[in-house]
Amino acid sequence: MKLEVKNIRKSFGETEILHGINFEVESGKALGLLGRNGAGKTTTIRILMDVFRANSGEVLLDGKKFEPSKHQIGYLPEERGLYPKRTVIDQMIYLAVLRGMKAKQAKENAKRWLKRLEVEEYESRKLETLSKGNQQKVQLAATLVCDPEIVILDEPFSGLDPVNSQILKDVVSELIANGKLVIFSSHQMSYVEEFCDNIAIINQGEVVLAGELKSIKKEYGKNRLILSAENMSLSELQKKMEQDYADLVLVAGKQKEFLILELTETGNRSNLMGRLSGSEIQVEKFGIYEPSLNDIFVAKVGEEA
Amino acid sequence: MRKFFTVLRYELKEYLQSKGFLSLTLILTIAGVALMFLPRFIDLSDFTGVGGKGEGSETVEESKEPQELQQMIYLDEAGIVDVAVLEQFFEDTLWVEAKSTQEVQKAVEEQTAEAGFVVKSPTQYDYFVYNKSMSDTNSRLFEQAMKLFYRMDYCAENGLDFQEITAMYDVPVTVNEQVLNKDTGSNYWYCYVLVIIVFMLISLYGQMIATSVTSEKSNRAIEVLVTSTSPNSLLFGKVIAGAIGGLVQTGVILGGILIAYEVNREQWGGMLDMLLHIPAGVLITFAFFGLGGYLFYAFLYGAMGALVSKTEDVSKSSSGLMIITMVVYFFSLVQLQNVEGAVIKVLSFLPISSYSTMFARIAMGTVAPWEIVVSMLILVVSILGAGFIGAKLYRMGTLRYGNPIKITTALQDIRKSKDS
Repeated sequence: MKLEVKNIRKSFGETEILHGINFEVESGKALGLLGRNGAGKTTTIRILMDVFRANSGEVLLDGKKFEPSKHQIGYLPEERGLYPKRTVIDQMIYLAVLRGMKAKQAKENAKRWLKRLEVEEYESRKLETLSKGNQQKVQLAATLVCDPEIVILDEPFSGLDPVNSQILKDVVSELIANGKLVIFSSHQMSYVEEFCDNIAIINQGEVVLAGELKSIKKEYGKNRLILSAENMSLSELQKKMEQDYADLVLVAGKQKEFLILELTETGNRSNLMGRLSGSEIQVEKFGIYEPSLNDIFVAKVGEEA
Repeated sequence: MRKFFTVLRYELKEYLQSKGFLSLTLILTIAGVALMFLPRFIDLSDFTGVGGKGEGSETVEESKEPQELQQMIYLDEAGIVDVAVLEQFFEDTLWVEAKSTQEVQKAVEEQTAEAGFVVKSPTQYDYFVYNKSMSDTNSRLFEQAMKLFYRMDYCAENGLDFQEITAMYDVPVTVNEQVLNKDTGSNYWYCYVLVIIVFMLISLYGQMIATSVTSEKSNRAIEVLVTSTSPNSLLFGKVIAGAIGGLVQTGVILGGILIAYEVNREQWGGMLDMLLHIPAGVLITFAFFGLGGYLFYAFLYGAMGALVSKTEDVSKSSSGLMIITMVVYFFSLVQLQNVEGAVIKVLSFLPISSYSTMFARIAMGTVAPWEIVVSMLILVVSILGAGFIGAKLYRMGTLRYGNPIKITTALQDIRKSKDS
């Protein structure tokens, strides 16, 4: 199963919010949908779910027009909310039946997912009596109660403690391993890196970077090195590099423990290593720079912002 | 359609399982039914004029003990008072003659007498009362007695036969009334009650529906709901559930009271007929038009609920509807006294008011069958229209949080989205 979002545009009143969103995701893989607050992620998801209608563009599933009502979709919205005064099991069954499931099956599934998320003892309790973390887990169970083929998770880890986060991580990994198509929106880049094969970064209503995460990282790490010295602070080292090594590298950035250097057209790793070994710099760290998704996100969204 | 029924069931369950709903229904029904059975267990003959404790409709004459009689005091300076006549005007009253005005005043002040009268001349008297209640009729009754004393005195002085003259003035006339169509007088009060009931239903349940919609927005349940089913299923399910909830509650309370009254009608001596002995035809018309009007407003209330994000803003959002229903309520009650007038005729065709005016016309006036059919058709079409517009507003408003959306802005946005 392959879901393609093609050139989606959406306006509210006179203001265009989405200026042509494109990305694609396949079953058994997860797409990380990233962006700053107000970038257009939730609007894109709502168009996917047919809550909003796009002004132009299309959403295709295996090349055909995607009709959400004909598929089981599990959607965990960023704005969490169920019925606080109703029992957990009652509302889970309700949501499953609303999505086309038989009541008996819905009850079985609800119990299974509550157990999987370790909140089965609360099934007869009113939602409002649960802690925030457990309410969050109930919400996730409600998302998955209909065993969806497509799972859309908007900030699923917010409000969870480390233990609950681990449970959720395991569940998401299982979903991907079971061939579900997962769209994962989050500001917590470490989780996106952990689960997503592909990413799409949305900024101000357009996709500024999309593709396979591994390739993107490789591309961002290309010709970049890290360097730190035992006998110099990073500021001293930066000054040294800018004065004496400008023909080989440019200082592209400074992190907590090392400098990020970018090779110039005339520079290469061997030359740099040769020059460094004969210098007064006592090299502590030297290697190929592997950017984190956070670095890529800040660099990309920072550039565009 | 299946999803609509799922929403309907879920929403209805909320009403029917709500402790507030159940206890209110139960308490009011039990209280109403118990009240209707009261004459079987407690002697209300003073009130109903019928012998109590299952003694049938036979009127029981009981002589009162002196301590049960109220005491009145009088001073007759004109020499015309006849105590026997006073006793006819004032039932269960013991009349005591005073020797002075001071004695009258003292007896009233010390409350040994309910009231006191000083007759100064055949056409003038003073009335003494300690606390004058709003329903005080003593003065009026005494005035009538005084007029009688005057006539009796006049006849005696002029050698006339008072009995003969009285008989000539008060010739007994037998009337055999045959109401060929509607008895407005006897139908008026239950129409009045039904207008109040339907107004309360619309106001109360309309607000409940609007609050329920807003709650789903404020607790964000709507985020999941709108991605699970269509806004139409959600709104229609919610509104129809509210309608059924309202009908069940009103039906149980009103039905319980009406049935209990029918069972105990004889014990009540038919004295509540004007309120509770409602013809089936009127009840059926009331049910159809009342339900229609209720649905019409319920859809609009639901849509108003979708335009705000906080439950505390619901009353502000639905104030326009509230004003309309109150104006209709006011006009309906006023026009009940003129059911053949042009105003009520017009109101009985408007969907905003036909729910309370058409059945009143049917109950109290003359209505051609075509008028009922046309009014019902207009109401049905309006309900569908309200449902359609309500669902559009609901869809447009549900995911827009923040400041309340004005109805004019919402309608403009709907038109724009339709154009684009």
